Amino acid sequence: MDTKNTSIATLFIVVMALFPFVVDSAWLSIGITFLVFAVVAFSQDIILGRAGIFNMGHAIFFGMGAYTTAILNVHFGLEIVATIPFAILVPVVFSILLAGPIIHLRGDYLLVATIGFNIIFEQVLSNDIFGLTGGPNGIFGIDVVRVFGYELWSDIAIYYIAFGLLIITLFVIRNLDTSKYGRALYYINKDEIAAKSMGINISYYKLFAFALGAAIAGAAGSVFAIQYSAVSPESFNFMQSVMFFAIVLVGGSASLPGILIGTFVMFVLPELFTEFKESRYLIFGAAMVLTMILRPNGVWPAKFGNIPKFLKKKVVNKSEEK
Amino acid sequence: MDTFLQQLINGLTVGSLYALVALGYTMVYGVMKLINFAHGDMVAFSAYVGLTIFTQFYGSNALSLVNIVIVFSLTAIVVAFIGVLLERLAYRPLRTAPRLSAVVSALGASLVIQNGIMLIWGPNMEIFPANVFPSTSWNFGGVIISFTQVVILALSAVLMISLYIFINKTKIGTAIRATAIDQSAAKLMGINVNRIIMTIFIVGSMLGAIGGLFIGIYYRGLTFDMGWLYGLNAFIAAIIGGIGSIPGAMLGGLLLGLFNAMISGYISTEWAETFTFILLIIILIVRPTGLLGEKTAEKV
Repeated sequence: MDTKNTSIATLFIVVMALFPFVVDSAWLSIGITFLVFAVVAFSQDIILGRAGIFNMGHAIFFGMGAYTTAILNVHFGLEIVATIPFAILVPVVFSILLAGPIIHLRGDYLLVATIGFNIIFEQVLSNDIFGLTGGPNGIFGIDVVRVFGYELWSDIAIYYIAFGLLIITLFVIRNLDTSKYGRALYYINKDEIAAKSMGINISYYKLFAFALGAAIAGAAGSVFAIQYSAVSPESFNFMQSVMFFAIVLVGGSASLPGILIGTFVMFVLPELFTEFKESRYLIFGAAMVLTMILRPNGVWPAKFGNIPKFLKKKVVNKSEEK
Repeated sequence: MDTFLQQLINGLTVGSLYALVALGYTMVYGVMKLINFAHGDMVAFSAYVGLTIFTQFYGSNALSLVNIVIVFSLTAIVVAFIGVLLERLAYRPLRTAPRLSAVVSALGASLVIQNGIMLIWGPNMEIFPANVFPSTSWNFGGVIISFTQVVILALSAVLMISLYIFINKTKIGTAIRATAIDQSAAKLMGINVNRIIMTIFIVGSMLGAIGGLFIGIYYRGLTFDMGWLYGLNAFIAAIIGGIGSIPGAMLGGLLLGLFNAMISGYISTEWAETFTFILLIIILIVRPTGLLGEKTAEKV
């Protein structure tokens, strides 16, 4: 990678790591929100931006992680740390079960099917299924995190849990990009039929993207449940999924800085300008339309995999010589 | 048996509302291959516009036939204008852009309309007056049919038949079908594609406007975010019938209305949406092109 990008990334990580020491508690909780939603947006980007699957039900996996932590902790008395593996595993299992039968559908049909899953998920949560999900009010009184007898109850501790998760996510994405899986997903996204004829198992890789995205979103959900020590259905409704979908495309598919910008605009700006809360979505909507018209590939599109300009020029020159 | 017949009537009424709205989705998808997410909110918007016209001009007086026609056509014209505006501002600049960009633009437009409604009319529920149509109802051996239901069923049938004739028998209809099959070929045949797309938005918005007015008159409670729910249901109806197919949207709407009525009549109202979406997912898995959609190979 070129040095400019590396230095921007380093600067970002250093600023985020020092952030809790320079701000008050209100800003700190905004910071946690930003980190958690950034992780969810990155996991949505693996499915939507990298694999090119039109997933508009990503709040399901985020919600499953949060609810798994909440249910296991409140109803079964498990330590928070012990619930995290389940909060990752449950969304993975469901992502494969749900996406499996519909993975072969083409774009728009898959999009509608995932909307369907999300609406069903909302109804399951608010109808208090098996007396576990607590109905429309959700679940309260989630315990604090305990590691080796230490209680991590402060916002600073939760901030660093979320920050750690973001770093792990970035690490996973970096490794994905340079692996066989990442290249396969990129190829599928660019041209599915060509990828198929090269012997790439489309359904397998798409399900892989779904499962990986669900796992990361589930972990983020767990942190979300820890932060608020409560979960309720409206945090995981269809509107949230629309937001995650929009963040990736407004920011720029498969572009890390773009998605951070998208998360900032969608989830942090409204916290800062509370006087605009009434017309918040109106402004978002208009901004979404405008961004797509002015920059159809997002605010900060990814450059990965495009043919460099000097190569294009050479080809043109050669054909002119003939 | 009485319950069954009653639910049949209710289901057909709701079904024709879905069908009216579904036609807007299916026509836009047929020509532009775009899910017009803003259509549901246009429907909600038309219910609010209709309500305002009713209360501003007629207060609480009973309406004559002429006044009803005026209110309906006025609403349809206003909403058609907004529909054309929507296409101009949010969709036309993105016609050659990646498909997902257009989807995001549609979602953004939907948010704008939805929250525009909230800012204009407020976040609280508005109630439609009860006396738009006479509150007469007939009782056929336990099965009750209201005057409103009869109007909805009759007018929807008339509108759908006229649309069918318009699409299949007129010159503009032929141009619309040609544009749906192949836009660039249609352009080479001298069809003004921009004008065809504008026509589609006018017709679709007008049908949606009448659907929205009926939704207001039938259910009476209006909320600014109701567009999502009716829009999604109507969109499901369009998919069940085969998206892009106009008779499909009509059939899908009626079937979905019946299905909803039977589920809430016999099984559960709490889980009604879940059953609707399970039906949708089963149809997508078994027959993604819907009941009347034609199977076409994806272009490479």
